[in-house]
Order: sequence, then structure tokens, then C-alpha cells
Amino acid sequence: MNNIKYCSFPETPKAALAALLDRRAEAMAVAGGTLVAKTLPDSVTHFVGLKKLPYRHIVKRGGDLVIGALASFDDIDRSRLTRGWAGGVLSMAAARCSSQLIRNMATIGGNIARPHSFNIFPAVLEGLDAGLRIISRSGIRTVPFSAVYLPDFRLKPGRDCVILEIIIPGKTRNWLCRFEKFARTETSWEAYFSLFMAAGVKAGVVREARVAVGALSPKPFRALSAEKFLRGRALSSASAAEAALELERDLDQLRAGDFRKEAAAALFGRFISSLSGERPGVKR
Amino acid sequence: MKKNYSRLEASGGFFEITLLVNGTKREFRVKNGEFLLDALRRYGYKSVKKGCDTGDCGSCTVIVDGKPSLACLIPAFSAHGSAVTTVEGLGTMRAPHPLQTAFVEAGAVQCGFCIPGMILSAKALLDEVPDPSEEEIRKYLDGNLCRCTGYVKQIQAVKAAAKKKRGGKEA
Repeated sequence: MNNIKYCSFPETPKAALAALLDRRAEAMAVAGGTLVAKTLPDSVTHFVGLKKLPYRHIVKRGGDLVIGALASFDDIDRSRLTRGWAGGVLSMAAARCSSQLIRNMATIGGNIARPHSFNIFPAVLEGLDAGLRIISRSGIRTVPFSAVYLPDFRLKPGRDCVILEIIIPGKTRNWLCRFEKFARTETSWEAYFSLFMAAGVKAGVVREARVAVGALSPKPFRALSAEKFLRGRALSSASAAEAALELERDLDQLRAGDFRKEAAAALFGRFISSLSGERPGVKR
Repeated sequence: MKKNYSRLEASGGFFEITLLVNGTKREFRVKNGEFLLDALRRYGYKSVKKGCDTGDCGSCTVIVDGKPSLACLIPAFSAHGSAVTTVEGLGTMRAPHPLQTAFVEAGAVQCGFCIPGMILSAKALLDEVPDPSEEEIRKYLDGNLCRCTGYVKQIQAVKAAAKKKRGGKEA
């Protein structure tokens, strides 16, 4: 950080983008700063502070839930809207991030823009089919959250584009969801794994399922076999146990340690069982 | 692109910034690699403690624009224009803040290193929630680590201060 020569506080998305593009590779946008303040690259000479951008809202818009990129983890933890959406899974995840002091400062936008396997939100956003509203040289547009991990997504958030809003689609509003973080202590940032689980259930049958795992790979991992297994299946303790074993097989792709696979499967089995109202248990 | 934003420029590796510290507007001259924690201590606000310097211990807690924040993670120049509250702004030896009194009366202080941060976190909590539950207090203080005590007395102190703030009424 010793090389910072300029510091700007743009108040509009256009001004933020202008501040970034003005200096190209030497500029970096910073929101809460909890992930980057100590690790700014020496090449960065222009610090673009985003704290004055008016994007801290959490609102319903056109049936979707829209979260401003500058909403802090604490804002998301306490918001009535997020607590009432998809079983409150966004609040559940926000509350599991590190300590209150970090939750006061860290933002959801920063959690996406600075990729790290321990980040809380990517697995949740991947599972909820979230979209991102970004501004880049070509204007404001919405892209799927998962697109930022694709090789052909050439924009770097915070360097040549700015994330403005996170859009959670209306279809997820009544999904039954749960977020689990398996870590050494409650406030540990470094998790052994994190697990987002969701199911859309109608008349005791799973219509839609999502399982996304964080902290085991640089980008969130979708357990597609477990999801496929559950779709169209009637809820029961037997189907929960089989789905859990399917998740273990999915996690083999990541070469996850046995204890991680077993713990994730147990938590997943417990979640599915809770939906059926039967006693949880993974049969081996 | 048109430059439609204001910016600070470092001169000789230093930024000139303005902070509203404990209600008083002050000019600071800060190094470009300096964090708010070090800048505040250099300007005499010694209640802001340097513990881990990595955002883990909460000793450097200050209230920035109404929210308890970790001064060790805030580049000093980026705080330009912010309102900062330290324990120096809460009470004095002769007229302590009710939280300070409650901490002393409850015996919540041993070495005292973590206490300024803990009191600022507790103040922000009581400003938001006048009658917090024990669970809420524990959650709100979970970033302020204490290596002397078991947190029991401190939680009792926050409860006592909350009760006093409500005029002695039970929640």
C-alpha cells in the first residue's frame, strides 16, 4: 500500500468506472476492504474507495430480491427481506462470516469481487442462480453470477468493472434452504467446507434441488449428481440417505478428505430428512 | 472517460485528510501505507490498541460512521471525511460513561487491553438495541477477544449498563 498516490471517492457508478479506467492497471476499487486492505498489490497506485456509492439497499424489485453490492454482511444478516427469502439462507450465511466487526465492514460485492475459496457468499449465490448487475466500459448489464468464473468472462470486478447489485431471482423465494459452515470455531474464516442446500418441494416430491459446496475449491462447486438424484424423488429418510451418499461421490471429484465428505453428507442427509419430517441418518 | 470524481493526491508519500474524531474536526497527515490504527495512536488516541494487526482480535475497534470497525484494516487515507469515535470520546476519569462504570463495578477488567474495543462495540450495540439478550450481546462482542477473562463479567457489565440506560427497568 506504500505506492498509493491517489485516492478517490466516486459517488456514482459512472464516476467509479471512470476512476478505474483512468488509471487502468494501476487502479483498484475497494469497498469494505477486509480482504484486500492488507494485500493491495504494489502495482496499485490509485485507490478507488466505493463507500460513497449509493448501493447499500436490500429491496424487492419486479419479484426479485435485489441487494446493493455495498450492503454489509451485517445489513444482510439483519434485513427482514433477506430473513424472509429462501428460508433466510442469505442472513444465515452472512451471520456465519467471521466476527461482528468483520460483518460490519465486509460487503457482499467485495466477497464476489475478491475471489477466495473461504468466501461465504459464492456457494449461496451459485445455488440461488443469482445474477450480477455490473457496469463496465460497455455500459450497465446483468450477467449470471456463475459467469464470473468462466474463462471467457474477461472483466475483472474492481479493476475494469464494478459490481452494482446482486439479483436473487423470484423463483427462489419459497425454496427451502440451509447453509452450514463446518469450521474449527464459530468465528473462523477458514472453513473445512461450507454447504448450501436448497429444495423446492411440492406434495412431498422434490421439484428442484441445489447443492453448492464452498471452501474446497477456488470456485463454488455444484454437486450435480446429488441434485439430479433428488429431482422428482419423494422425500423420505431412505431418499435422504441415498442423496447424501450421492453427494459424497460428487465430492470425490474435488479429492476432498474423507472427514469432509462424511460431514458434508451427514449435514445434507439431515437437511433432506428435516424436509420429510423423518429422523435423519446416513446409512452406510 | 471524463474525470467526474474528486480525489486526494499524496505529496511526498503523505495524504492530508480530515477526520471528525470524537466530535472534533481534525486534520491528519498520514503516510500512504499507514492504517487508521497507527494514525490515531500517533495523534494521541492511545486507547486504540494494537493487538494482532490482522483484524482478528478487536483491540483496535473504533466506531467509524456509526459502526464498530477494525482500525487496523482501514487505510488511514480512505477514512477521509469519516466520523470516528474512540474511548477518549466516551467519558473521563471524573465523568465516566455508564458502560465504563458498569465494567468497573462488574469486575470485568483484568489487564484492560481489550476493554476499549469491547466498550465501543457494546456502546454501538446499546445504541441500536436498548435491551439486548445475552445471545445478542455475545454475538455483537464476538470479534473482541479477551485473553484474561471468560467473558462472563463483561456480559454482566453490558446487561447492567443496558438496565441503567433504561432507568433501572428490567427488559
